Amino acid sequence: MQVGFVFIAMVLSVFAARLVQLQGVDPRSYAKMAAAEGQRVVALPATRGEILDRNGEPMAETVDGRMVVADPKVTAPVAPQLATILSARLGVDYFETLRRLRVEGSRFQYIARQVPASKAEKVVAEIQEQFEDDKGRPFAGLMTERDPLRIYPNHTVAANLVGFLAENGKKGEDAAIIGLAGLEDSFDTYLSGKDGEARYEVGAGNQIPLGDNTVTPAVDGKNVTLTIDRDLQYYAQRVLQQTVQKSGGKSGMALIMDSRAGDLLALADYPTYDAADPSSYPKELYKSSALTDVYEPGSVEKVLTISSLVDAGLAYKEQHFKVPGQLHRQDRPIGDYWDHGTLKLTLAGILAKSSNVGTVLAADQFRPGQLRNYLTRFGLGARTGVGLGGETRGILPQGAAWTSQVGDRIAFGQSLSVNAVQMIAAVNTIANGGVRVDPSLVKGRARADDGTEVGTDVATSRRVISKDAAHETMLMMERVVDPEAGVAPRAAVPGYRVAGKTGTAQRVGENGGYDGSLTVSFAGFAPADEPRFTIYVVVHSPREGSGGGSVAGPAFAKLMSHTLRRYGVAPTGAQPNQTPVEW
Amino acid sequence: MSSTSPLRNRLPYVAPRIAQAALQRARLTVVPRRRTRAPRVPFVTFVSVILLGGVVGLLMFNTSMQQASFRETALQKQATDLGAQQEALEMDLQALNDPAHVAAAAERLGMVMPTTGAGVLHLGSGEISGDPQPASGEDRLPIEQPGPRKPAELDPAPIKVKVDPLVGADGVPARVQ
Repeated sequence: MQVGFVFIAMVLSVFAARLVQLQGVDPRSYAKMAAAEGQRVVALPATRGEILDRNGEPMAETVDGRMVVADPKVTAPVAPQLATILSARLGVDYFETLRRLRVEGSRFQYIARQVPASKAEKVVAEIQEQFEDDKGRPFAGLMTERDPLRIYPNHTVAANLVGFLAENGKKGEDAAIIGLAGLEDSFDTYLSGKDGEARYEVGAGNQIPLGDNTVTPAVDGKNVTLTIDRDLQYYAQRVLQQTVQKSGGKSGMALIMDSRAGDLLALADYPTYDAADPSSYPKELYKSSALTDVYEPGSVEKVLTISSLVDAGLAYKEQHFKVPGQLHRQDRPIGDYWDHGTLKLTLAGILAKSSNVGTVLAADQFRPGQLRNYLTRFGLGARTGVGLGGETRGILPQGAAWTSQVGDRIAFGQSLSVNAVQMIAAVNTIANGGVRVDPSLVKGRARADDGTEVGTDVATSRRVISKDAAHETMLMMERVVDPEAGVAPRAAVPGYRVAGKTGTAQRVGENGGYDGSLTVSFAGFAPADEPRFTIYVVVHSPREGSGGGSVAGPAFAKLMSHTLRRYGVAPTGAQPNQTPVEW
Repeated sequence: MSSTSPLRNRLPYVAPRIAQAALQRARLTVVPRRRTRAPRVPFVTFVSVILLGGVVGLLMFNTSMQQASFRETALQKQATDLGAQQEALEMDLQALNDPAHVAAAAERLGMVMPTTGAGVLHLGSGEISGDPQPASGEDRLPIEQPGPRKPAELDPAPIKVKVDPLVGADGVPARVQ
């Protein structure tokens, strides 16, 4: 009897000890283990927001895709065969796949990500049919999980802006999909949203009704709508490509802007890459040169100098200037691109003929610091903040760096550097009646990853020069495309009044100094008397003898003609002004 | 009897029988309680039916829930498949909508991308403003950008072989007709 009691007491003690162990020592991990039994956790990936053009056409969108994952415990014995099939069908690296299929002690390895759903399911189903595991059961070493797939239906169109997503995982790391270039990168957080998860109990592969079930819904990413017009962007890229190729140039940019709203309708870079297949192109192309690269704008900048002079009341369009062939200043003589004796030019003539000497003589009237002040108000030397990462500020010398020689050269567009978006926004100030409106790439508003809010809703405008000064500058710019008075008759758009300015600048080469190559450009707007669009075309390093009027001018005319037609802008019917260029 | 007779005499003569019956009834006696047992069978049957009904009902309910769950899983899969199919079709549509593709298709039909001056036809007056020129296709725009430049290893120069017209490439004399 006593022995019996002792025995019962011992058994109960064991039970009590176990109870203390379960409840007293780390009860949570046991509760978790119990809950995990038969419970399935499914990640609910947030759908990444789309990037759309101004008409809602998708530039980047997300479709249902799959990730293929492997259970190395099951796949290791047949890894070589599987790797052969997977590398052939899914385009993954054979050796990396082989390694992943054999990782010891792991039961989850990514094999491929962002595979179109139908393709991934098909490949996995075929492998399941072909193989069986070591106990003769159906092969369960490969599975698919939901993994939204990013597609770029327009390939090279606006790839410089849109960018692309890619796996950032280095070899041997698990891959995460992130934006690597363009807007995909600078709006990564805004676009990606937040993943959710669902937990539910399963039995025989089905959800148990009335079982524990918690769902944290995914918060989908937001869409980014651009001001870009996809079809116009395509056309601009084609015209730019033709222009660069025909002129033997190295690269180029073409920008089209809505003069009133500041919307960038097209922002083309050449050469560019295919957003759907970026790995085939060199990494140097994963950017928008119009924002990231600086160059000296050349004579297009004269528009800013002369409009500032007019605004300051220091000059007027018929003002007489005696322009010598060369101007001897402190360090070296300043000359024009053509040899001439002393010319009697009006201010309009200086602009129409693009005389450096004349511009320097006119700019001599500025008080110290006055030109720099105007150029700053035009937006030079400051980022435009359109929303793309890596934008350059440009170089606008200040303080001691602004010597009188530098000041002379800046007056005609050398010794300062800009990016193309800065420059088009500055020239657009003239088109917009003297009010500079911030250029925009995003329609509405969106928050970039650096915390800034960008878009047409937050774009600001400021008056730089008076309306009269802008009008007078426009009249002078109109003389540039005149077949007799100006240097760029090929930039004229038949039937429309066009105002513009050529630019031919010495280009800074890779060694950091002028290497003899040029940057040719043309900026202008139309209809001149009621501006709707401002267009800027830049070609770097065209073959010798090229100029802004002969290379960029015709491209401007094509783009302007097409844009006016596309947006149904009728000619105003007015005749071009005939301001005298000589006296 | 002597005690009853004066009472009888006092009662009205029409009531004697009723009164007698009442009297008889009034003489109550204690009787043993009658123990009647309620029939058990209906009750047991009733409870069993409820129990059975409950169990069967629960089973059927559960089964139907399971069935619904199976069906839901199957339909979910079908919906996913159809969704994937729809997206595949939309991807095809977008590939067709790619401006470069549309331009190539248009060019095959003999169209050209205009690079000439545009005009505006005013529908009300029938007037044409601007200086429209027919698109000639002389200044043809490239419709696609050149493909990526491949390294020389992947893009070797074509190997040119001179083949004697009378002797085939493999050294076997070609048939001369």
